[in-house]
Amino acid sequence: MDARATRRIGAALRAGARGARERPLVFLLAVATMAGGLLVLGAYLLVVANLRGVLARAGEDLRLVAFTELRGAANDGAVTALDARIRAQEGVASLSYVAPAEAITRLRADLGQDAGVLDGLERNPLPGSFEIAPPRELRDPKELHALADRIAALPGVTEVRWGEPWVEGYARLVRIVEWVGVGLGAFLLLVLGAIVASTVRLSLHARADEIQIQRLVGAGGWFVRLPFCLEGALQGLLAAALALLVLRAAFALGLPLLGDALAWALGGRPAVFFGAGEAAALVALGVLLGLGGALASLVNLDERA
Amino acid sequence: MIQMYHVDLRYAGGTYGLRDVSLVLERGDFVFLTGASGAGKTSLLRLLFGAQKPSAGQILVAGRNITRLPASQIPHLRREIGVIFQDFKLLPERSVYENVAIALEIAGVSRSEIRTRVWSMLKRLGLGHRIDHKPRMLSGGEQQRVAIARALVNDPPLLLADEPTGNLDPGLALDIMDIIADAHARGTTVVVATHDPALLDRYRHRRVVLDGGRLASTRGPEEYSSALRHLGGTRA
Repeated sequence: MDARATRRIGAALRAGARGARERPLVFLLAVATMAGGLLVLGAYLLVVANLRGVLARAGEDLRLVAFTELRGAANDGAVTALDARIRAQEGVASLSYVAPAEAITRLRADLGQDAGVLDGLERNPLPGSFEIAPPRELRDPKELHALADRIAALPGVTEVRWGEPWVEGYARLVRIVEWVGVGLGAFLLLVLGAIVASTVRLSLHARADEIQIQRLVGAGGWFVRLPFCLEGALQGLLAAALALLVLRAAFALGLPLLGDALAWALGGRPAVFFGAGEAAALVALGVLLGLGGALASLVNLDERA
Repeated sequence: MIQMYHVDLRYAGGTYGLRDVSLVLERGDFVFLTGASGAGKTSLLRLLFGAQKPSAGQILVAGRNITRLPASQIPHLRREIGVIFQDFKLLPERSVYENVAIALEIAGVSRSEIRTRVWSMLKRLGLGHRIDHKPRMLSGGEQQRVAIARALVNDPPLLLADEPTGNLDPGLALDIMDIIADAHARGTTVVVATHDPALLDRYRHRRVVLDGGRLASTRGPEEYSSALRHLGGTRA
């Protein structure tokens, strides 16, 4: 880029800064409105991020239980052979064998004071079982179903249970959260883009005489557009920073007020705020939004007028 | 400097702003473009600085065929043309200095050179003491001198003036014309659209007469009065 082009860019940027200074009310109004929109979007993303954390942790506990007709201990030959066959299935991250003796011990512990009801039994009625943990990435109900069917078909396995309703509910909830997020995000982006475009159109109208004179003395299309793009991007940057600040303050001040209700909703997991990367992404979104809104309103700018 | 061949300018609805205009202006010419209101003077000037495209015909300005010039090249053309309007077209919130400097900023001139050239131009036009003033603090004649300074500060080879004295009283009008004549004496090709007979009587230059969008005549000053009488006495 030659020196003249650099100086032209400098002049265009100064014109943009001057435009913002000359109409501070319009500029600040646009920043405040965009910040409001980004605040709503940011708050929703924060809820989603925390909810996904809860769901992910709950998903970690997912187990398939394969009951077997075998009743031996873990070192029994038939048990170790079936263990190996299950382990060889695709979609098995880890497994452990629960012998009938261990199963009844667990049941006694679970029953607590009522454990006496088991004293009358002549023999342990509980079967042996394998507790199978699928890998973390395997949470699709169809794939889990297929895994359960493969294990159930193995000789020696009598039944496989894996909490199908819970997994399907979990998957549905994640999908709903994601789709609502996409819908709300798209809606807010459109609204915010329209706000920026309207602001730029106001600025275009307010600066119509200046643009006409710039054109007369030889300003190119980008010279006219650049200040508005800069203004839009700056509005987006300031709006995103403001939204983050307000969100952070609300997070810090609001959490103690929610107390037990929040702890219950998050399953005891502490609420987390955006990390540096997520905050930077929100700021980048604000800048892109401002830039996009400005460009959209400048599409029909007459090159000859 | 300017060549126009069978140029038409037709508006939506079928009316003509200009019809079959052919005209050649040499480098260094000073031409008055004259005729009654609505004759097509402003339309012709707008074609010359690329604000409109002709409906038919060819126009060459400073060696460029502007009929075929893409919109992206119009700014380059305009950096070689100074344009002055009756209503001055100054930015009211900017100082005299800033109003003139804008032409050089857009041309990519360095800030130190802008300072030198703007100061020199304003001094030449008698506005050195007004450099920090806003246009509203100036008289009409001073405002037009600022507009001329902006048009000339880039040393354009062509100066187009659309009724440059239309808003000024006669004394100031002659001052402005003297400045334009001075630019011509320095080598600038000048086209002035006017229907002010006082100017036409005082400055003896070639006159191009438009009537209803057509070229009625192009001749020397001595033939102009009879041509106007023939067109119905629209000298006022």
